Amino acid sequence: MGQIKRIHDMLISGEISCVELTKKYLEAIKNSNKELNAYITVTPEVALAQAEAVDKKIANGEEIGLLEGIPMTLKDNISTKGIETTCASKILTGYKPIYDATVYELLQKEGVVMLGKANMDEFAMGSSCETSYYGGAKNPHSLDHVAGGSSGGVASAVGGNLAVYGLGSDTGGSIRQPASFCGIVGLKPTYGAVSRYGLIAYASSFDQIGPITQDVEDAAIVFDAIAKYDERDSTSQGSKPAAPTLNDDIKGRKIGIANQYLDGVREDVKQAVLDAAKAYEDMGAEIVYFDLPELKFALPCYYILAMAEASSNLGRYDGIRYGYKAEHYNGTHDMICRTRSEGFGKEVQRRILMGTYVLSAGYYDAYYKKAVNLRGAIVEAFDRAFELCDAILAPTAPVTAFKNGYLFGEETDQIEQYLSDICTVPVNTAGLPAVSVPCGVDGEGLPIGMQLIGKKFDEKTILNLAYKYEQAEDKRIETKWGVKL
Amino acid sequence: MKYELVAGFETHVELQTNTKIFCSCTTKFGGDPNTHCCPVCIGLPGTLPKLNERVVEYAIMAGLATNCEIAEIAKMDRKNYCYPDLPKAYQISQYDKPLCEHGYIALSNGRKIRILRIHIEEDAGKLIHNHGDTYVDYNRGGVPLIEIVTEPDFRSIDEAKEYVEKLQQIMRYIGVSDCRMQEGSMRCDVNISVRPEGSEKLGTRTEIKNMNSITNIAKAMEYEFERQVDLIENGGEVVQETLRYDDATGTTSSMRSKEDAHDYRYFREPDLVTINVPRERVEEIKARLPELPESKLRRYVEDYEIPEKDAAQLTKYRSISEYFDKASEGLKSPKTASNFIIGQIFRRLVTEADKEAFDIKTSADQLNELCKLLESGKLKNNLAKTALDKMLDTGKPVTEFVSESDMAGLDDATLTEYCQNAINAMSAAVADYKSGKEKALMAVLGNVMKQSRGRADAASVTKKLKELIG
Amino acid sequence: MVTREDIENIALLSKLFVDEKDLDSLTEEMQKIVAFADTINNVEVKTGEFDNINNLSNAFRKDEVKESLPVEEILKNAPEQAEDHFLVRKRA
Repeated sequence: MGQIKRIHDMLISGEISCVELTKKYLEAIKNSNKELNAYITVTPEVALAQAEAVDKKIANGEEIGLLEGIPMTLKDNISTKGIETTCASKILTGYKPIYDATVYELLQKEGVVMLGKANMDEFAMGSSCETSYYGGAKNPHSLDHVAGGSSGGVASAVGGNLAVYGLGSDTGGSIRQPASFCGIVGLKPTYGAVSRYGLIAYASSFDQIGPITQDVEDAAIVFDAIAKYDERDSTSQGSKPAAPTLNDDIKGRKIGIANQYLDGVREDVKQAVLDAAKAYEDMGAEIVYFDLPELKFALPCYYILAMAEASSNLGRYDGIRYGYKAEHYNGTHDMICRTRSEGFGKEVQRRILMGTYVLSAGYYDAYYKKAVNLRGAIVEAFDRAFELCDAILAPTAPVTAFKNGYLFGEETDQIEQYLSDICTVPVNTAGLPAVSVPCGVDGEGLPIGMQLIGKKFDEKTILNLAYKYEQAEDKRIETKWGVKL
Repeated sequence: MKYELVAGFETHVELQTNTKIFCSCTTKFGGDPNTHCCPVCIGLPGTLPKLNERVVEYAIMAGLATNCEIAEIAKMDRKNYCYPDLPKAYQISQYDKPLCEHGYIALSNGRKIRILRIHIEEDAGKLIHNHGDTYVDYNRGGVPLIEIVTEPDFRSIDEAKEYVEKLQQIMRYIGVSDCRMQEGSMRCDVNISVRPEGSEKLGTRTEIKNMNSITNIAKAMEYEFERQVDLIENGGEVVQETLRYDDATGTTSSMRSKEDAHDYRYFREPDLVTINVPRERVEEIKARLPELPESKLRRYVEDYEIPEKDAAQLTKYRSISEYFDKASEGLKSPKTASNFIIGQIFRRLVTEADKEAFDIKTSADQLNELCKLLESGKLKNNLAKTALDKMLDTGKPVTEFVSESDMAGLDDATLTEYCQNAINAMSAAVADYKSGKEKALMAVLGNVMKQSRGRADAASVTKKLKELIG
Repeated sequence: MVTREDIENIALLSKLFVDEKDLDSLTEEMQKIVAFADTINNVEVKTGEFDNINNLSNAFRKDEVKESLPVEEILKNAPEQAEDHFLVRKRA
């Protein structure tokens, strides 16, 4: 049984009250957040008020939903009315949105208990959570290692049992990679499955909100609750529910492995993925190998487009309507430049500059326009691949969690940092769904993750495959942190 | 050397939709600062635009009314520039796939001003500068605009004036904008260059902004034309730049500052989807389009034999032409209704605004009734005029002011009696007439009219008088 | 080749100040990223034009007014405000 259902049963049986449960999590956060740095803002008043409402319903003998009263966290780029939403950036210091993101609205209708806002890379730009203005979240399996990024705070909280589940966002791997580093489950839905309304944009045509959970069943439950059409998001479509078919037989299912996905992947990670393929064969699935040469230009294509969109999306932080404003300046132009130069971290500034560059006169055709065309080619390449299989199996990251400071160390250059996203970005470039599940442990005791990539709006197939794997080969490992139930 | 003016227009027209282009806030003009705002139109992080379908419809109407081709596929783009009145630091506009292209507006001199494109975009907020401090109000931010761009087809200031008037007239007719330049719901930027007459090559152009009336546009163009000619004649060179027109001094000055480097970095707006305009939709909109002023004018002149000058007055505002169309329905001579409108009714509508509002108590049907009585000969002209004045004062129908007996006219016996009375009373005039002074009969006729209190009709009186005098 | 002038120009467009002392290192860094981006230039693609990721069209909203927010809400996060306006003082 999944964690959410287990806690749900405890609540309705009266084994624990929702307030008691919430207090346990708040207490655990108090004790552990200094080390894990998973939360930027903790919201005890909000959480306890929500918990009391759930207890009242239970006391009245009313039925409660599966997600009702389950303590969770939101990545700090998801807008919450009246609750500080910082994107882990100095430039949004003190910003309290005056509206709720659609996903938070949906979860509130489900009776959510929201513990607080989780740490992340600044504006979701990074792969280690270390570009956070508040310092990076740590890996619950080893404090010497990062939680991954950019949704590092959610992964650290869920992996460290400081929340039952959380919502992250995935632009180039930001749900899957930290889930993989922290040994838990992360689902990046199809572009358009979940409303982006209220998600503070990094790269609008890539961004997608999705669940980070302790098991596959939880991921399906949370996904089904948030994958709804939203009239406020023109790109939103909703998706088909995934929970009802989780346990379907996978016999005869075709799982593809693209050889290029294994290039440059560390040997133990590669082996873990191949072992998983073997496990699938044992369960009656068929493994098909093929080439996907377009993968090699997915990364530059992604970075060009994402940075271009980011440079535009981040233009609005000017110190006039919200957030940080420089103290000393001379005139409006000077104020705006100072606010932005003081308020944005180095990596964010670098991506804004690069995005501006690829869109500027004289370079647009060579970079932006070319990258858009390549994006079309990548979409077509995946379309062809899905004629051969129902889902693609690949490593989530070429390595396990980085050592703290590694990505920004002297010997690591910019490109090496970007290359670490090589396994995750093709999915975002093509707008596909993918779920990362634990598939092994490396020599240092750090989790290894694999991802199952699906056809558009076919989350149910990849969650079905992931669930069957988890049932057969549970590779999750305990951490010492947080609430033990 | 003689120089020729070459100019093109970029005109922003605010659309009269209920809501803004990307959110559900009202577009009402004015309002207390920042009270027509929501998270979307102040650009809060995480908000997304949702396109108002009526904006697309209005832009298509504008395109059809100016002879444009309507695109099957259009899309929205971001135009990036950072300024405090632009809350997202980009304006959502259309770059390479505008809704309308390749239209024209015909001028009275027979020339056609080609329209390059019409696209939709959002307006910016308002800045108030006060001792170096800047106050920002976003009420206008997100109000829908269309931008109408012409080719550099203008060769005179008169052409420019006529174009702006025509454009205003068309947009008001189709009801997409009130085009009030003073309130900023219509704003023109003019590109100007000069070249020696006969030359084909375009000169370096400047762009003038900030003109809030047709008079100012004319003045600014004239000033800028002279300035460029002077510059060239004195061996100077025109610099391509953006100029601001100063109403107080009647001069233009450079708007350039080091701070705004211009590179808009257009790219597709990823938060919005493609706009698909099926041909049936275009046909459906076309069918709903009202008759345009140009076609009405031709109809009035050619079919109704109304003088062109009068027809121009009738078609200047849609309200008047619609009133006229209704008032002249079924008349043998629609001119009858036209004369009443341009004469008696216009006398009561002093300003242009009054004329445009056309707020009068008499309905078109009531005027139609009056005209029909007149045409049937039941009502005489001078009686009709008196009645119309009373109608306009009270809003009551003609029958309230004209009795059955008024309309019945005079029987032959009474007419003979009145005529005989007049002949007896005015023997001198009758003598003059008899001696050959045709005009003398008019005085006698006047006497008969007086006796009949206007009920007699001049033609039959004349006939009767001639009969009696012999 | 990315030049110092390129960086100065895009910094101005991006409304970011770049310290004189950081200009060279930033130029070098950007050159690396650009070289990385350049790898796509050798790729020949034969593909139809990419529209949007799910090829969606015509997501419209009805032209119906909804209540705007109270001005206090709109100005709630403003670093500076006066007379119901967002405010940028001249300072210096």
